[in-house]
Amino acid sequence: MSVIYAVAHQTVREALRRRIMWIFLIIGVFLIALGPVFGFLSPRDSLVILKSLGLAAILLAGLFTTIVTCIYLIPVEIDRRTIYTVLSKPVQRYQFVLGKFIGGFFTVFINIAAMGIVFLVMLYFQMGHHLAPDMVEGVVLTFFQLMLLAALSIFFSTFATPVVNFFLSFGIFMVGNLTSVTDTLTTSKSPIAALAGRIIYYLLPQFGNFNIMNSLIHPGQNITNMQVYIRNCIVYAIIYSSVLLAIAILIFDSREV
Amino acid sequence: MATAISIQGLTKKYVDVWQKQEVIAVNNLNLEVQEGEIFGFLGRNGAGKTTTIKMLLGLVFPTAGDAALLGAPMGDNNAKNFLAYLPEETYFYDSMSAWDLMDYYGRLFKLPKNVREQRISICLEKVRLQKDAWHRNIRGYSKGMRQRTGIAQALINDPKLLFLDEPTSGLDPIAHAELRDIVASLKDEGKTVFLSSHQLADVELICTRVAIIHRGKLLRVGTIQELVAGQRTEITVQGKELMNGTLAKLKNISPDIEEQGMSTLVIQSDDTAQVSAIIDVVRGADCSVLSIVPHKRTLEEVFVETVRREEESL
Repeated sequence: MSVIYAVAHQTVREALRRRIMWIFLIIGVFLIALGPVFGFLSPRDSLVILKSLGLAAILLAGLFTTIVTCIYLIPVEIDRRTIYTVLSKPVQRYQFVLGKFIGGFFTVFINIAAMGIVFLVMLYFQMGHHLAPDMVEGVVLTFFQLMLLAALSIFFSTFATPVVNFFLSFGIFMVGNLTSVTDTLTTSKSPIAALAGRIIYYLLPQFGNFNIMNSLIHPGQNITNMQVYIRNCIVYAIIYSSVLLAIAILIFDSREV
Repeated sequence: MATAISIQGLTKKYVDVWQKQEVIAVNNLNLEVQEGEIFGFLGRNGAGKTTTIKMLLGLVFPTAGDAALLGAPMGDNNAKNFLAYLPEETYFYDSMSAWDLMDYYGRLFKLPKNVREQRISICLEKVRLQKDAWHRNIRGYSKGMRQRTGIAQALINDPKLLFLDEPTSGLDPIAHAELRDIVASLKDEGKTVFLSSHQLADVELICTRVAIIHRGKLLRVGTIQELVAGQRTEITVQGKELMNGTLAKLKNISPDIEEQGMSTLVIQSDDTAQVSAIIDVVRGADCSVLSIVPHKRTLEEVFVETVRREEESL
């Protein structure tokens, strides 16, 4: 465990030293801070604007932070040959992959936590010193959604170049968010479309399930028990991430560096 | 003396995606290195030296064959507690200082904090990295400072067996000599060093035994004395009669004759009996011996001869 911790700690240090990570964080905080301004200019309820813009900003900044951080974690060690001095020490390959994932995931956590705190504090004052529990749930689900994305990027990074990994991770994130399209395909009369819908639904991670706030995308859905729904989403993210990491370890175990 | 490295039939073949082209990086390598040795592993670029080291450390996987390091199978994770590796081109996390880097590597060996700090100081002092650079970013280090840091990181776990890949390449003469001496001092501490290097003068100076590898094939292995054994003598003779039949007689004794102009020959021989016979023939032909220069062979000459002979035979 201490080896995984050492690799993870080192990964966080290196990730936090990258300027791009801070740029995404600043952009995210900036967009959240703009919420009241947009609320003032918009005919809609300023609180709705702040909520939707805040969650969108956290997701967007978190999405790019996750992809940009995680696609490089393993390839950069191979390219710079720093991996030679690491794997020639008593470090198992699974410890290396898990350390990289935990480090990347923790970097994303720092990013989401920073933006989430800014967002919730702004809401607190906007709502007359009241907390918004539904928004906390929204931030938590965004975090687990990005944890799943981090696992996906780490999985691809064990065999794909960063550029290929970027398009794969980003593409799958987009497809996984098109839940309504997948639903339409699955219930299609065409057997091929239905099969494609089922493949997408069962094989690709369903990122769309984590976006509970967007009633425009899920007009017909009504979540009866939010606590159970959130718990299921978290369990889904953990199980799916674990499977991805297990496969990533298997691939990396047989990879020559 | 126990065996530190035992390699049996180690082979590495690279095949392209279409399974059409095959490159043999290491070909049926058999080698034994004893504990406490500084073992030189020589070869041209692409001879298979780094691939061999990487296989031994479990970084690449052999196509065939096996090896044991300190009695454990290659790639064994527990055995890595006693191993160290300095790659050919030392790349580090540039934004870290030497101290932080060593601390990270110490953690990978699960060294407690107080032991880690003690080892870091000992190792950085041993490689003579200036104290004011210990906490500075590696990004600002010179090549020599990076190599010193590289050797220091290899010593963090007080290893029994070190794999050093070109530890002195690209350094200025002072740094070169200092690092060579540091590597040589490891023998006094009872450590085994597997040294891959192109610096043949260094190898000749500090190594106990040497192996020469070419295109993945082991050509020669032995002590420095064994490899450079046999003194070569260069005899320069002069006389008008040399070209009138004497040359043929001399060629019968030693075929290694170089004609310099119409009346001078330079004859090479590594056999003392041949040298006497050549002198007798030259005197009998009323010619004069200008010089007899005994010439001790260097490791570089042995290496070049061995590799060239192998290339010609292919």
